[in-house]
Amino acid sequence: MHAVSRPLELRLLLPLVILVPLGFAVTHIAQTGVLDPGPMGVAVGYVGLMLGAHLALRLLGNQGDQLLLPCVATIGAIGIIMLNRLPQDLLGTDAFGVQFGMATTQLLWFAIGLSAMVLLAGRFRDDGILRHYKYTWALAGTLLLVITFLFGREVNGARLWIFLGPIGFQPGEAIKVVLVIFIAAYLAEKRTLLADASARFGPLKIPPLPYLLPMIAIFVIVMLVVVVSRDLGTALLFMGIFLTMLFVATGRRSYVLLGMLLFIAGSYVAYNLFGHVRVRVDNWIDPFADPSDRGYQTVQALYAFGRGGLFGEGLGQGLPTISGRLPIPALPTDFIFAAVAEELGLIGAFALLALVMCLVFRGLRTAMLARDDFSAMLAVGLTVSLGLQTLIIAAGNVKLVPLTGITFPFVSYGGSSLLACFVVVGLLLAISHRSVVDAQIEGRGP
Amino acid sequence: MIATNVRRLAVYLVLAFASISGALVWWQVLDAQTLATRQDNPQVIATRRSLPRGSIFDSQGRLLASSVVTEGISRRTYVDPAFTHLIGYASLRFGATAVEQAWDDLLTGRTDPNPLRDVLNDILDRQPDPHDLTLTIDQRLQDFAAAQLGADRGAVVAIDPQTGAVLAMVSTPSYDATGFSGDPATAQAPFDAVAALPDNPFLDRSRQGHYTPGSIMKVLTAAAALDTGAITPQTTFPDQPREEVDGFVVSGFTIREHDLGNVAPALWDLSPALQVSSNIYFAHVGLELGADRYLDYARRFGFCEGLRIGSDGRGIAVAPSFVSTQVDGGCAPFRDDVELASAAFGQAAVSVTPLQMALLAATIANDGAVPQPFLVRDLRSHAAAPAAGPTSNILDTYGGGRGDPVISSQVAAQVRQAMVDAVSGPIGRLYAGPGDVTRFGISGVQTAGKTGTAERGPGLRPHSWFIGFGPAQAGALPSIAIAVIVEGGGTGTGHAAPIGGAVMAEWLKLIGS
Repeated sequence: MHAVSRPLELRLLLPLVILVPLGFAVTHIAQTGVLDPGPMGVAVGYVGLMLGAHLALRLLGNQGDQLLLPCVATIGAIGIIMLNRLPQDLLGTDAFGVQFGMATTQLLWFAIGLSAMVLLAGRFRDDGILRHYKYTWALAGTLLLVITFLFGREVNGARLWIFLGPIGFQPGEAIKVVLVIFIAAYLAEKRTLLADASARFGPLKIPPLPYLLPMIAIFVIVMLVVVVSRDLGTALLFMGIFLTMLFVATGRRSYVLLGMLLFIAGSYVAYNLFGHVRVRVDNWIDPFADPSDRGYQTVQALYAFGRGGLFGEGLGQGLPTISGRLPIPALPTDFIFAAVAEELGLIGAFALLALVMCLVFRGLRTAMLARDDFSAMLAVGLTVSLGLQTLIIAAGNVKLVPLTGITFPFVSYGGSSLLACFVVVGLLLAISHRSVVDAQIEGRGP
Repeated sequence: MIATNVRRLAVYLVLAFASISGALVWWQVLDAQTLATRQDNPQVIATRRSLPRGSIFDSQGRLLASSVVTEGISRRTYVDPAFTHLIGYASLRFGATAVEQAWDDLLTGRTDPNPLRDVLNDILDRQPDPHDLTLTIDQRLQDFAAAQLGADRGAVVAIDPQTGAVLAMVSTPSYDATGFSGDPATAQAPFDAVAALPDNPFLDRSRQGHYTPGSIMKVLTAAAALDTGAITPQTTFPDQPREEVDGFVVSGFTIREHDLGNVAPALWDLSPALQVSSNIYFAHVGLELGADRYLDYARRFGFCEGLRIGSDGRGIAVAPSFVSTQVDGGCAPFRDDVELASAAFGQAAVSVTPLQMALLAATIANDGAVPQPFLVRDLRSHAAAPAAGPTSNILDTYGGGRGDPVISSQVAAQVRQAMVDAVSGPIGRLYAGPGDVTRFGISGVQTAGKTGTAERGPGLRPHSWFIGFGPAQAGALPSIAIAVIVEGGGTGTGHAAPIGGAVMAEWLKLIGS
C-alpha cells in the first residue's frame, strides 16, 4: 500500500476552495445587506474536509475513480451553502451540553461520513465478508429494522428513529446499503440460472420462482416492515433498487414490468387501506384543493419553483419568510431541491441534476469495469440507490410523483442519510480501485 | 452481459432525469407566471401588504375608494357604504371581492394595459404603477336608490338599456369594509362584527340573491309567446273569465287567481291581462308556448347560466337565474304542465336575481336585444391626490354593448306597450301606477313597468317586486331600465313600484339637468 497521486480529483476539488466561501459570503451579504462575508468556519471546515479526504485517499493508495469525490463534494457544497443560509435553529443537535446549529451539525456528519468513505475506500480490500455472509447481513439488517419499528421513536408520524443518548439515526438508511449487498451477492451467485431458466405465465415470461424465493422472502419482509412503519419513500426506493438490480442481472424487462405491476397493485391497496397514503396521493393530484393545510408544503414548493424562474432569485435572496417562518416547513430535508431551484433557478437545478447524473454515470462505469459479477452488481445497486433516491425526491418536489419523505443525497439535512451515502461512495471507490489494480496486474490500462 | 444491461439502465436513468427536467421547465418557466399571480401565493400576499392601490371614482369623478401606504401597510378607505357590494373590498386578511377582485391586477398595476410596459416592468423588475377606475355609476343615483330602500332588505339594479352601463346597483343592508381593509393584524374583529349582523350584509342581493319573481316573470312569458307566434296581442282564452272564479284545472291541479280586488273578471287579451296581472291568462299562455320553447327563450334572455357584469373576460359574476328546478347549475326540464303553467306567472321553482330581471326590462326597452351590462367605464393613470378627482389620462375604456336581438323589435314594441298600459292603463294604474314617474315630478314622460308579488308560502310576507323602464312613450329612447325587490315587502304595488318610479324619476332629473 503506497501513496498514489490523484491529480484529476485534486484539480476538480480546487475550485471549491473559492466557490464554497464565496457562496457563504454571497448568502450572508444578501441576507444582511452589509458588505461583510460573515462567519466562514463551516465553509473552511467543509473545504478542509474535502481536501483532507482527497489527501487521505492518496495516502491510503486508492486508485479508484477520481470523479466520484469531486461530484459528491460539489453536490454537497450546494447543500451546505443552502443549509448555512437558513435559520440555524431550525434543526440541529443539542449534544453534550453544546448547541450545534444546522450547518455545523451537518458539517460534523460530513466529517463522519467522509471518514467512513475514506476508511472503506482505503482499507476495504476483501469483499468475501460481504459476499459469503449475505444472509447474516440480511437478517441483521431486518432485525435492526424490526427493533426500530418496535422500540424506535416516532417523528412526523413514522417510527424511523433510534436514539443513542442525544444522537439519533435512522436505521433505514443502513438497511438500504445492507439490502443492496444482499441482493448483489444473491444475484451474482444465481445470475446465469435466473437469466436462462424461465417459467411462462400466459404471454408473460416470469422469473423462475424457486430460485428467487429466498431473495424475495427477505425482500418482502423488509418491505413489510418499511410499509408498516409508514416510510413510503423508502419503500418506493427499495422496490426501485430491487427491480433495477434484477433487470441488470437478468436483462429481463418483463421482471421489472411484473414488479411494477405488483407495486402499483400494492399502492392501490395501500391507498384504500391507509389514510396517510390517501392524503399524500390526493395532495399530489390536486394540492391546490387544500392549499393552506394539507397541500400547503407542495403548493409552497411549486411557488418556490415559480419564483426561481430561469436564473433564480439569487443565493440568499429567495425563500421569503411568511411571518418569520420559512415558506416550506420541511425545507432543509424534503424540499431542499425546491430551495436550490428557487435561488439558483432552472439553470442551477439543472446543474445539480447534472452533477448527480455525473456521479451516477461514474458509478455505472465502475460497475461495467468491475472484475467480477458481485462487484458489478454491488456497484450497480449502490449507484442506483443514490440515483433513484435523487429521482424520487426530486420528482416528488416537482409533483411528478406523490411526495415522500426521503432525502436528497448529500444535499438534504440529515446525518444518517449522509453517512449512508458516503458509505456507498466509499464502497464504489473500493470496487473501482480493485478493477484498476487488477487491470494493471494484467498489464492493461483501465 | 452485465455491462450491456448497465448501458441500457443508463438510458432509462437519463430518461428519468429528463422527465424531471421537463417538469422543472414547466414549473419554472412555462407555468411560472400563473403561479406568480395566484392569490394564495405568499409572495403576492407579501407584496400586496405594502403595494399602493389605485382609487375608484364614480362616473362624475367623485372618490369612492382609495388607499394610502402607512407603516408599510396598504390601507384602503371606502367612502360610501352604498357601493360596498359592487366595489367589494380588498383586504390583506380576507382577500378581494367584486370589482376589487376582478380589476385587482390593474388596480395594483401588476398588469399594465400597455403590453410593452408590462414586459418592461417584468424585465426591469420595476415597481408597477397603480391605476384608477371610473365606474359607470353616478353616486347621486346610487345613494338615492339606497335611501329609497332605507332599512328594508332588498336590491335595486338600474341599467342603461342602450349601452348596458349599470346606473345603480344597491343591496341592503350594507356594511363598511374600511375596518378590515387595512392592517391585517387588526382586521378580524371588524370582519367578525359584520358577519355577526342580522340579514347577512355580506350577501350582494343584487347579483347573488335568489328570489321567486312572481308576476314580473309574465313579461318574459309574454315576450316568448309573442315571438314564437304562440299568441298575438289579441289572443284570448274563452274559459279564462270562468276560471278566474272557479280556478283553472291543469292535470288535476287547480290554479287559482290572486285577489283581483275590485276588478271584475272579463275576457282579457294581453294588455288587460298584464294590467290586472291575471295568473290564469298567463298560465294559458305558458301552456300554449310549451316547455321547450319556454326554456329556449329563458336561456336567450340569460336565464339558466351565470352572467357577468363586464366584458373582455373581466367582470364580476352574477348567480344564474332559473325558470325550473336547478340541475348542475342549469335549468332542469319542467316536471309537468302544472310547473310550466305556474312558472309562466313566476311561481313554482322560478328563482331569479334582481340583475337578471333588470336585464329583462332592459331587453324590452332595447328593442329586444339583451344589453351586456358593465360597471367599470375606464382605466386611468393613478391620481396622486385622489380627493381632487381622477386624472384625465385615460389608458383603457370598457364597454358593454347593445347585444344581439333575442326577440323581434316588433314583439319588443308589443310588450313595451303592454307594460306602459300596466303602469298607466285604466286597470294597470291600480297595480303598477306607483311606477309612473309623473308622480315624482317628471312631466311628459311615460314609463313601462310590471309589479310582482312573489308568494313565498304560508306565514311569510311576499317579496315585493317591480321592473320597468322609461321614457317609454312611443318614439322615446328609454334611458333607464330597473328592477327593484324588497324582501318580504308585501305587494309590488305597495313597496317596490314607488321605489322604481322614484329612482327612474331621479335619473331623468339627473340627466335632464
